[in-house]
Amino acid sequence: MDMILSQSFLTSLVVGLVMAGVPLLLAGLGEQISEKAGVLNIGIEGMMLIGAYAGFLGAWQTGSLWVGFLYGIGGGMAVALLMAVLCVRIGLSQIVIGIGLTLGAEGLTALLHHVQFSRSYPRLPGVETWAVPGLSALPVVGPGLFDRHPMVYLAIALAVILSMLYRKTHLGLTLQAAGDKPAALDGAGVDVLRTRFAAVLCTGALAGLGGAFMSEVGAGLFIPFMTNGAGFIGIVLAMLARGRPLWVLAGAALFGACLSMTTALQVAGINIPTDVIQMLPFAAVMAVLVIFGRRASLPAALGLPYVRGAR
Amino acid sequence: MRELRTRLLTTLCAAAVSAFSLTAGAAELKSIAILVPEQGSDFGWNQQGVDSAKAAAAKTGVELTVAQGLGYGDVRPTLRELAEDGVGLMLCHASGYNTACPEIAQEMKVPVAIVDRPDLLKPGLVADYTLSGHEGAYLAGRLAAKVSRTGTVGVVVSGEPPSWNSQSAGFAQGVKAEKPGTKIVYAVIGPAAYSDAAGGQRVTGSVIAAGADVIFGQGNGSSFGMLQAVETTKAVDGGKVLFIDVIGDKTTLDKGFLLTSVLWDMTPVYASMVDDIKAGTFGTKHYKIQLSDNSVRLLQTKNVPADAWAPIMALRDDIISGKIKIEPVFDAAAVRALMTDVAAK
Repeated sequence: MDMILSQSFLTSLVVGLVMAGVPLLLAGLGEQISEKAGVLNIGIEGMMLIGAYAGFLGAWQTGSLWVGFLYGIGGGMAVALLMAVLCVRIGLSQIVIGIGLTLGAEGLTALLHHVQFSRSYPRLPGVETWAVPGLSALPVVGPGLFDRHPMVYLAIALAVILSMLYRKTHLGLTLQAAGDKPAALDGAGVDVLRTRFAAVLCTGALAGLGGAFMSEVGAGLFIPFMTNGAGFIGIVLAMLARGRPLWVLAGAALFGACLSMTTALQVAGINIPTDVIQMLPFAAVMAVLVIFGRRASLPAALGLPYVRGAR
Repeated sequence: MRELRTRLLTTLCAAAVSAFSLTAGAAELKSIAILVPEQGSDFGWNQQGVDSAKAAAAKTGVELTVAQGLGYGDVRPTLRELAEDGVGLMLCHASGYNTACPEIAQEMKVPVAIVDRPDLLKPGLVADYTLSGHEGAYLAGRLAAKVSRTGTVGVVVSGEPPSWNSQSAGFAQGVKAEKPGTKIVYAVIGPAAYSDAAGGQRVTGSVIAAGADVIFGQGNGSSFGMLQAVETTKAVDGGKVLFIDVIGDKTTLDKGFLLTSVLWDMTPVYASMVDDIKAGTFGTKHYKIQLSDNSVRLLQTKNVPADAWAPIMALRDDIISGKIKIEPVFDAAAVRALMTDVAAK
């Protein structure tokens, strides 16, 4: 038991929280943009996976994590472009296309990995961090929270920026209207399809970035299927947060904290079934967000293709 | 009475036809197939399965179809297609396939071999090969305890299937037999986190922070995340952390951190299945891998201290001769109990 109270172990748990939480945060924020505009983006898992592959490829080829992040954003947006064309422009089922894109991304990345990396399994060197002056010297939380890769801080800042954008800008209102009352938005002279198209591309960019963070910073390598359902958890976070980016941040942090807690409970030798311990993150996030997020509502036109004049 | 006789005759005829068709199928076994969830190039479970199937096919003179990268979803369409193509034995090389495979075996009347469900044996149709490398893992545990500086070793797994449970238990028994005071830190990444490389790195990092300087990792794809954590994290004493892998040989990927691996060779198992189909005894017995025929063995790397290897090989001989007996433990709860309370042998 004493080993889990050591500073190095507690720090590792905080680091684990951040590493697990950031990809979920980016995916959840991305999904939220689509949902606000009325598109249920089930393909986010595939976007993350392509982003993870592309991000790792970019970082491995150039030696720069930042170039890798750009590759990841590009990869995610490429999948999102398909989603936008098929679901927003043509109006096909968002659920069917989303699932199809995820399955396609799984197959494609597994194939590419097999061709490129399956004999060498290259791994990136350790990640350089940026210490926040003053705060990084704090015990446990200092190195855990304030001595991380800059992308961690950017992801958190993004949640705050999106929160302000949704509440205080015309762009936020436009996005909300595309999901709630697309016909009214159309009547006001704003192109609903273009708004939704852009929203889906933004989702792809953030999901791809989340995947790239996972492969570059979280794991330092790419392997097939490595997102392991993180995209779907992002969808859950976005739906339960119901339009509020800071709630996505809270959900992702809670999920990451619970994941770290599962490790702590196991290392402490708590003799309860591992399945029960592993349920903890899902149960906690569901409970908290359902209890505190009940008053918000999902966009009225979520999942429905927009056709001008159709009732 | 006449109705009873008719029913009896019908049943006997059906049984005769069924037996004949199985025998006929056996005699005509020309091709087998293996289905694996990931590519057969993972230096682990999938690759050993594919490589062993290739070796067994060559040994028994049958053709092999490799269906790889199938993922962990529904494989029924692939199974039906293979059956329609005339495959006479389908090796379902993932515990996630052990619901679909018996179903399709029944539907298409093609024998299948599954893992982790020895209770589902069905003569002529369903065989199980829940393999256990516990003897090799025991030796790995002895070696880990020998080389550990901190007196703490870690076991990180990406799930708790029976095959891995038995190896975790064997490892723990080996550690305690070598140095009873050694602490064992045990952590599961997730219920089925076989490809969760980021999770592997995260959990392994925490286990190292808890004091472990040797990690026994079982994870498929996630084991690369464990390896990454070992390579980029220092032990609490500031020294190097070593990694013990299972099933496959990652020597060519090693950057100086791979202590050993519990290697599996499933060739004898698959060859026996082909022989059993031909003999009409498929689905009636359990298959195993063991030290005595080298289907389980410990990998010697350059990172094993020179004076540590010979004693480990002597222990291997003792296991083969029966002087040391290691019982497999398949139940997850029993494995967890072993991590904190293992009697020294």
